[in-house]
Amino acid sequence: MAEPDHPALRVRDLSVSFTRARDAHGGADAVPAVREVTFEVAPGEVLGLIGESGSGKSTVGLAALGLHDAARTRVTGSIQVGGTEIVGASEKRLCAVRGSRAAMVFQDALAALSPFHTVGAQLAEAYRLHHPGAGRAAARERASEMLERVAIPAARARDYPHQFSGGMRQRVMLAMALINSPDLLIADEPTTALDARVQRQVLRLLDELRREHGTAVLLVTHDVGVVAEMADRMLVLRGGREVEQGPAEKLLTAASEPYTRALIGAAPTLRTEPGTRLPTVDDPDPSPAPARAPSARRDGAAPARRSGREEPAAPTTVPAAGKPVPPIAEVRDLRVEFPARGPRLPGLRRPPLQAVRGISLAIAPGETLGLVGESGSGKSTTARVLAGLQRPTAGTVRFDGRDISAAARSTALRRELSREVQLVFQDPYASLNPRRTVEQIVTMPLQVHTRQGAAERRERAVWLLERVGLGAEHLGRYPHEFSGGQRQRVGIARALAVEPRLLIADEPVSALDVSVQAQVLNLLMDLREKFGLSLLFVSHDLAVVRHFCDRIAVLRGGEIVETGTRDEVFDQPSHDYTRELLAATL
Amino acid sequence: MLSYVLRRTLQAAAVLLAITAAAFGLFYAAPSDPALIACGPKCDTAQVEAVRHSMGLDQPLVAQYVDYLGGLVTGRTINDVDGTPIECGAPCLGYSYTLHQPVTEAIADHLPVTLSLAVGALAVIVVLGVGTGLVSALRRGSRTDRMLSAFTLIGASVQIYFLGYALQYLLVYSTDLFPLPGYVPLADDPGGWAAGLLLPWLVLGFVNAAVFARLSRAQLLEVMHEGYVRTARGKGLSARRAHLKYTARGAAPPLAQLLGLEAGALFGGAFITETVFGLGGVGKLAVDAVVGNDLPTVVGTVLLAALCVVVFVAVADLVVAWLDPRVRLA
Repeated sequence: MAEPDHPALRVRDLSVSFTRARDAHGGADAVPAVREVTFEVAPGEVLGLIGESGSGKSTVGLAALGLHDAARTRVTGSIQVGGTEIVGASEKRLCAVRGSRAAMVFQDALAALSPFHTVGAQLAEAYRLHHPGAGRAAARERASEMLERVAIPAARARDYPHQFSGGMRQRVMLAMALINSPDLLIADEPTTALDARVQRQVLRLLDELRREHGTAVLLVTHDVGVVAEMADRMLVLRGGREVEQGPAEKLLTAASEPYTRALIGAAPTLRTEPGTRLPTVDDPDPSPAPARAPSARRDGAAPARRSGREEPAAPTTVPAAGKPVPPIAEVRDLRVEFPARGPRLPGLRRPPLQAVRGISLAIAPGETLGLVGESGSGKSTTARVLAGLQRPTAGTVRFDGRDISAAARSTALRRELSREVQLVFQDPYASLNPRRTVEQIVTMPLQVHTRQGAAERRERAVWLLERVGLGAEHLGRYPHEFSGGQRQRVGIARALAVEPRLLIADEPVSALDVSVQAQVLNLLMDLREKFGLSLLFVSHDLAVVRHFCDRIAVLRGGEIVETGTRDEVFDQPSHDYTRELLAATL
Repeated sequence: MLSYVLRRTLQAAAVLLAITAAAFGLFYAAPSDPALIACGPKCDTAQVEAVRHSMGLDQPLVAQYVDYLGGLVTGRTINDVDGTPIECGAPCLGYSYTLHQPVTEAIADHLPVTLSLAVGALAVIVVLGVGTGLVSALRRGSRTDRMLSAFTLIGASVQIYFLGYALQYLLVYSTDLFPLPGYVPLADDPGGWAAGLLLPWLVLGFVNAAVFARLSRAQLLEVMHEGYVRTARGKGLSARRAHLKYTARGAAPPLAQLLGLEAGALFGGAFITETVFGLGGVGKLAVDAVVGNDLPTVVGTVLLAALCVVVFVAVADLVVAWLDPRVRLA
């Protein structure tokens, strides 16, 4: 236990900078990551350390245990764990603190647990390191106890991390961190990679355990919802500097700094007015004055779309009473199976994996359909089928009344389809060719689908970039010169180049920081109005889907459990599973 | 694990069977007539036909292949050119009409040299390769790292026949620093065995260690920054113990696989090294057989080389499965 007069963690004027070994000129330059941050965590308290990527929040967490790469990092100031100075401490002293008085839980438990050792052995090791007198049997005993405490049967101590689910692995991490009842737990994005229901479960467990052990928690996260749920106090970091710190309740409701307010308001919640503009941290004004489009084909033929902002309650495009509008895209009784991996010997073959089992849905013209579900629910597979990238095992797939189920096998059909259906991908880092300029990326669809000359294509590219809040000056740049949000804008510009009628967006904002997510969502809302787009929006985030979509289909295990308008699904969910998901959304 | 071992062994057996078929096919695809070669240039047509019959070459192809496979398992009797029966014990790889002895015996005569050479060279590869890789990785970017990088680059680019002759001249003939290379059976004189092979081991090991060193450096650097190594240190393990227990374990599988390939290649014979140092190993036997059109010996040594590669690669895979539960439990 910490001595009563020491806080669990005291950080004074902490600055951390990374030195690059040497640049082209042989000189070493330092990149500051954290600048003069000061805070304390009292025993038993939860401090939420919140910030966007690059804010230095994880660096603070690592430095608190001296776990940064010592050869490349310069740490100044003071960090005291229960009165013991960490900055400049010897390896021996650090090893005595780590895992015993202060422990750490990392974001990705699959990467953070050793794949080569059983979870029981890893827990027992953590115990024995700080209980030199304890025998193997005693350590095993203690490991089993901790596993049972996090609701994992002791018999599974002999299993390896890859044999557990994501939530169980994170619970194993928690058990390992708390096996020596530390005074301080540093949790770095402990639930970020988890589905909402599992996230809630893990957070609840974390809360119980810290109460039992009287552990103070430094909770490092980008997620305002997690902080709101867990933290007593919060500290907002931006660019390595403190923006503001104080009681969580006060900051969440009445922060004095505009950045804090923007960060908190940027992520839509289940109480946000759907379709409204989300506040952003530094809005670069992504919607410039309307200009007439140098059209790819049907000049100005885009049907005008009602603004979601003005009358958010009545979805325009859902077929109104009496007169059914034929859907722009639909799947009926869609089934997709993937062959199981493993020995290809006859008789030993495992049954194929059923990713999608009999889904039927339709997207009306001008409508945004949200596909929500946890990982493995089949939502991405369904989207890929509609994009003509995945061959359905059974069922019909139609676009504009035409059967497109063969598109995945027929290059000609897929090419035709891609004129009308375009994709926006999740990872803006992986989905842009790093060796092509933005101009080449954005004009590629035009090159494939139109006979426009280079000058014409260029003009169109500039126009498209302006629509997404970029400009002509970006044409010659390469993707690595852009931030994540800017890259996603380039991806959207590319998707819009041929004026598709259906845009399929697969988790388009889940890899982005909250403020950037807000910018991209605002942009997509503007564009769908301007271009009269129909959208298939795939997401695991119920709050985002609620904010953005007219109609929603909830998927689970490859089947639709519920489908309806936004209001139906969110206000009167008919299925227990939907209610569970809603309850778990922070 | 058991099912994995079983599966991997079956695979290896299937590959070996396919290789025997391919090697046997090679025997027939070759443009030369084995009967004519065996009989000699002075034979007339009738004599060649007689020899062909006594060698069994007039049998159908499949029958000959079955005979060959049977010989591999149980041994068989083969007629020499003049019709005298010769006992060829299992595993019979045929009879060399050039060497006038069963191929298995010829290989057995040359194998100790190759085995000795390969074992020592492998030890040098592991020690030198992993050692250099480890030091480079721990001191990444330092002067030592760069010097070792240059050193391994030399190893990767230099030719054995250059390095071998140069060192032999410098260290043996000019200065007497090293004993004269040569082969003395281990059982006769262990000291002489090691002394005679010291220089060949170092040369063969050094040249092959370069790739190994580069791979170990890259592997170690990658694994060093894995989350589980950081977790281990977060538990309170010192950096050194964390690297020993976790980094080494994580970096080992690809190294084991490369080592399996190297071992397979080395045990199949190292002709250039054997020639440079005047050692009569399997590599020399194989090349002499190719030059002398001695097809049974060519096929036999090809099979041996293939066997070595298949076996060592399979062993490496089993080691990897033992190291990494994700492989064996997949």
